[in-house]
Amino acid sequence: MSNETGIDRAAAKRRRQATEAHAQSWGAGFFVKLTLMALIDALGVYGVWTAFKVGSTVIGTVLVVLLIVVNYVYFAKRALPAKYIVPGMVFLLIFQIYVMINTAYVAFTNYGDRHMGTKQDAIEAIVRNSQVLDPDAPVRPVALLLEGDEYHLAYVDEDGQAQVGGQDEPFAADPEATVEGDQVTAVPGYTTVQEAEFEGLGGTRPTKPVTDLLVPLSSDPNAGSMKVMATDFTRGQTYRPGVEYNEAEDALIDRTSKDGQEIVYKANNTTGQFEANGQRYPGGGGWKVMVGFDNFVKLFTDPEIATTFAKVFIWTVVFAFLSVATTFFAGLLLALVFNSDRIRGLKFYRVIMILPYAFPGFMSALLWKNLLNKDYGVINNVILGWIPGFEGVDWLTGSALTAQVSVILVNLWLGYPYMFLVCTGALQSIPGDIMESAKVDGAGPVKRFSKITLPLLFVSVAPLLISSFAFNFNNFNLIYMLTGGGPIPPGDSVNDPGGTDIMISMVYKLAGVGQNPDYGLATALSIIIFIVVGLIAVFSFRKTRSLEDVM
Amino acid sequence: MSSEKQFRDYTAGTARGFTTRTDADRRAAHRKAWWREVGWRHIVAVVVSIYAVFPLVFVVNMAFDPNAGLANQSIFKSFSLQNFSDLFSSRPFGQQLANTLIVGGITAIGTVLMGAAAAYAFSRFRFQGRRFTLTFLLVVQMFPQLLAFVAIYLLVLGLQEVFPVLGMNSLVTVIAIYLGGALGVNTFLMYGFFNTVPVSLDEAAKLDGATHAQIYWTIILRMVAPVLAVVGLLSFISSFSEFVIARLVLTQPEKWTLAVALYDMVGSERHQVWGQFAAGAVISAIPVLVLFLFLQRYIVSGLTAGAVKG
Amino acid sequence: MKRLAAVAAVAIGLTVGLAACGGGQKDDGKSNGDSGKSSVTLTVWVDETRINALKPIVGEYEKSAGVTIKLEQKNFDDIRADFNTQVSAGAGPDIAVGANDWLGELIANNLIAPVDLSTVADQLDERAVAAYTSAGQTYGVPYALENIALVRNNAVLSETKATTFDELIAEAKATGTEGSVLLQIGEEGDGYTSYPLQSSFGAPVFKQDADGEWTPELGMTGDPGHAYAQYLGKLGAEGVFSKSVTYDIVKADFQAGKAPYAIVGPWLVADWKAAGMDVTVLPVPSAGGQPAQPFLGVPGFFLSAQSKQQAAAQRFMINFLTAKDTQLALFDVGGRLPANTEAAADPKVVEDPIVGGFLEAGKSAVLQPAIPAMNQVWKPWGKAEADIIGGADPVATWDKAMADIQQAITAAG
Repeated sequence: MSNETGIDRAAAKRRRQATEAHAQSWGAGFFVKLTLMALIDALGVYGVWTAFKVGSTVIGTVLVVLLIVVNYVYFAKRALPAKYIVPGMVFLLIFQIYVMINTAYVAFTNYGDRHMGTKQDAIEAIVRNSQVLDPDAPVRPVALLLEGDEYHLAYVDEDGQAQVGGQDEPFAADPEATVEGDQVTAVPGYTTVQEAEFEGLGGTRPTKPVTDLLVPLSSDPNAGSMKVMATDFTRGQTYRPGVEYNEAEDALIDRTSKDGQEIVYKANNTTGQFEANGQRYPGGGGWKVMVGFDNFVKLFTDPEIATTFAKVFIWTVVFAFLSVATTFFAGLLLALVFNSDRIRGLKFYRVIMILPYAFPGFMSALLWKNLLNKDYGVINNVILGWIPGFEGVDWLTGSALTAQVSVILVNLWLGYPYMFLVCTGALQSIPGDIMESAKVDGAGPVKRFSKITLPLLFVSVAPLLISSFAFNFNNFNLIYMLTGGGPIPPGDSVNDPGGTDIMISMVYKLAGVGQNPDYGLATALSIIIFIVVGLIAVFSFRKTRSLEDVM
Repeated sequence: MSSEKQFRDYTAGTARGFTTRTDADRRAAHRKAWWREVGWRHIVAVVVSIYAVFPLVFVVNMAFDPNAGLANQSIFKSFSLQNFSDLFSSRPFGQQLANTLIVGGITAIGTVLMGAAAAYAFSRFRFQGRRFTLTFLLVVQMFPQLLAFVAIYLLVLGLQEVFPVLGMNSLVTVIAIYLGGALGVNTFLMYGFFNTVPVSLDEAAKLDGATHAQIYWTIILRMVAPVLAVVGLLSFISSFSEFVIARLVLTQPEKWTLAVALYDMVGSERHQVWGQFAAGAVISAIPVLVLFLFLQRYIVSGLTAGAVKG
Repeated sequence: MKRLAAVAAVAIGLTVGLAACGGGQKDDGKSNGDSGKSSVTLTVWVDETRINALKPIVGEYEKSAGVTIKLEQKNFDDIRADFNTQVSAGAGPDIAVGANDWLGELIANNLIAPVDLSTVADQLDERAVAAYTSAGQTYGVPYALENIALVRNNAVLSETKATTFDELIAEAKATGTEGSVLLQIGEEGDGYTSYPLQSSFGAPVFKQDADGEWTPELGMTGDPGHAYAQYLGKLGAEGVFSKSVTYDIVKADFQAGKAPYAIVGPWLVADWKAAGMDVTVLPVPSAGGQPAQPFLGVPGFFLSAQSKQQAAAQRFMINFLTAKDTQLALFDVGGRLPANTEAAADPKVVEDPIVGGFLEAGKSAVLQPAIPAMNQVWKPWGKAEADIIGGADPVATWDKAMADIQQAITAAG
């Protein structure tokens, strides 16, 4: 009864407010909105401007679109639901959807060990790394010269003759150069550049063109070349012939072999590496290329992957289901038990209940791993140690079953506070007047619970249980930190599934993340998992539609 | 709520109805009723409390043991505050605590505001693509994040060019990324609760001439206050313990959040300071517990009590 | 329309204002840069211990060289993976601390640039330079040498007479402590720490070629490997070694005096010394008849291939990181023998009995293989050791692991 009066009063108050609001449509709310929108627009326009200035066309375009959408949503009379959804959606689009698409894209590449960067990076690194110092050749004083924006080197040879050369321009005598002792001081047509003119050394010139500069000693490519010392721009060192990149041929010419033989490694732009006679260039890696659906094809044709996944699929589902079931029922039970303010110290108990949740999750996993250690852990030594004849259970590594039980129990400890909080909130949100009227109708406590409380509770938590299921389906961190997917029976390989391996932890193993990563394959695998979980979720979510219209 | 009320009625009834009985009988009946209604709850509470607390005893023990190690499972052999003083003297722990509170607080508020707004729209408006968007939100959360860090890193590098404040080593970036998940699981939580609020309430208000914004701010939000508090708390806690993204973005210890700092203390096998770690973990749990104590009022007695009191 | 106009006006006003502020700040920044801080900034990833050594002394270098050094603290165990992903994305730090066994992988992925060590090679330990050399090219600068050794708790046992590992166990058991020789194994095994024992059976991980370079051909297959596997199985059955013993437990139990000996690296000894323990460092006695050779690890710094400041970075590495004072500062926090020979001859290094002990134990040490194939070895190798200690059939388990490793190496090419 008292409920209704409460609502009546609130309604009356609202009615007053409503009429006031209608009286002045340029009310406070509108000015708040106006100011906020002005700020957002200002930031947005500023962002668009900067984005195009620094050349980030993607960000600029996205910002323009977002600005138009946001302004339309908040100033048009239509699009009412959008007014409520757009703020969260903007963040979601940028920080989740965009990230998701970018991640998913990896599945169509060969990104992974030896295929990490761009082709240009690969060429640059290979050429640079192949330049090995000739320890017997003299270190010479050199002069840095600039012709246009191309750097050149000049040194004085044994005959006192000035030699000048540049990138792909072998050293040649330049009789017009001014020589002072062992130093070239000026060459007509070139500007001499001092070390102090470079950035970090007192000036502003970038150093990269100088450190990248490689001047052939002669037109014979096997003669080697000269480079400026990175630590001293006034001295040049001689380098043995290395690897050269020939742009026309799109190939590496390797002159490093000891017998003086040239090997040509052609770029293979479908595999993303340099190859000669089916062998890849051994001194460095390849680059990232698009491989289309290759990773997916591999997944469906590699019998090992298929059988492995079939093996772990059942445990993955069991694990996810039990994780949700145990935490939810524990949480619900506790919420019901504590849904009474007659208990002394209720506040205190509730705080204790959520303690496991208040500590960082990775700490808890590490902690439990030690508590469950067979010989040293407290569970065996103290909690169960008093049982006569008890020899200790090898919880995490003894057998698949004990490890699975441990994982579920630890996850229960980690997860029940969450469900407790959610269920407490849910119970509290059930409108009192429904209960009151049910009571008036003569429903007993059991009936009230099963006919009102529980259905209403499910309305609020059903979607949550679905996403909790999905979360645990991919609960890599728990498995990885607690058991690493183990125990793997002795005699099995490290990449065979262990007793507690779930699908996502198998991705980690199969794709060699950690040793020889194949991120492309790993991503393709996780996309498959994503589709599986997604389908399960969508299917269950459709089932909740009937729950939704309970009211 | 109802069961206690019933209990109150019941005890009141006993007091009035059975005055002719002896005091002893009355006390016995009273005790029996107490056990049935309250006493057993204490037993459950104590049992669960032990389960909840015993692993944490080791953390507290480590926090006060200057020679602490994770494998050192002897209890309270020594007591000293050394770890706590080391914690604050050897690293910017106070700053890290402040960073965490800022990130957690803003993320929690942002998540509640954005999540509740979206949940309201989904619950109250019937628009084209509603079911699709909901399903979409549900599915998005399921994308395995295992390999997402590369994309996040590249995104932050890109944004840095345009908005330096959204770049590396900025708390704002971390908050923005966390808010990217605001329409995630918490929206579903709230959406579910919004559905339990009778539509008749809005309709009555609408007849009274209230606008959609007024209905939202003054009716719905008040009705679901408990869940707002729960979501705020959950989001606060999750940003408190998240360290993968924070570690990627925040590169200087002065900018770290507690989770990154704690992870740093034990993340490398050869250099683990478990004592300081435990001390830090204990300290980091305090804001969460304080917030929970504060929010308990709203979680537990938000709506119903308010309405009853009228 | 009226509203839209109002909004537009406010927005334009604010935009212009903000842009003006932003522009102003930028200009300010530039003028500051010219007068005060240098335009060149080097980002250096350092771990939690080494940052404490570098932070106080790096300022001086900044001043003299005119560059800004941004030290970023990272967990050591994360640096390798983060370096890989960030540098391959075209970003990441200029310089990162690391260890020589990363070399092969970093080169194979084009992630590091050469560092010209020619000017300082004569000031550095020869083996340290060799550890950073691949195909004649030098990458990165070494700063210390480290290896596994046997450590004795002098409070439990004051003298070691044993010359073989079996005698050592007997000697340890005679003290009546709970454990005898602590060796970290764990569920995943630890081939690195137990390598002195394995090498004493004449079972090196890989075969070496004529120049002493590691080849990707396994050296621990066949009889020597089987003998080692059986020895592990025996010690596992006798309870000397156990899978339950992890790094944490070695640390705690040794500190608690529960065993007289432990086979560990210098990092743990530093912790024990800090806890006030009296310990002696000794070479690991031979178990299989041949000398026990631990791996020689060489921590150092790598130069990112993506660094836009190769010159400034190399100068920092050569002039600062390999310098005597820097290496002594690093010695203070890590207790590892400096790679700089002058620093290694410093009284505070020479007179340190712990360092002397590790040096002695490391005389027979072999460079840890830095070839990419090593990546395929660690996991199956460790698991086989752990399984054998846990009671699995030694020879069969060992052979299976070797076959798996061989297959993985072939697959990775």
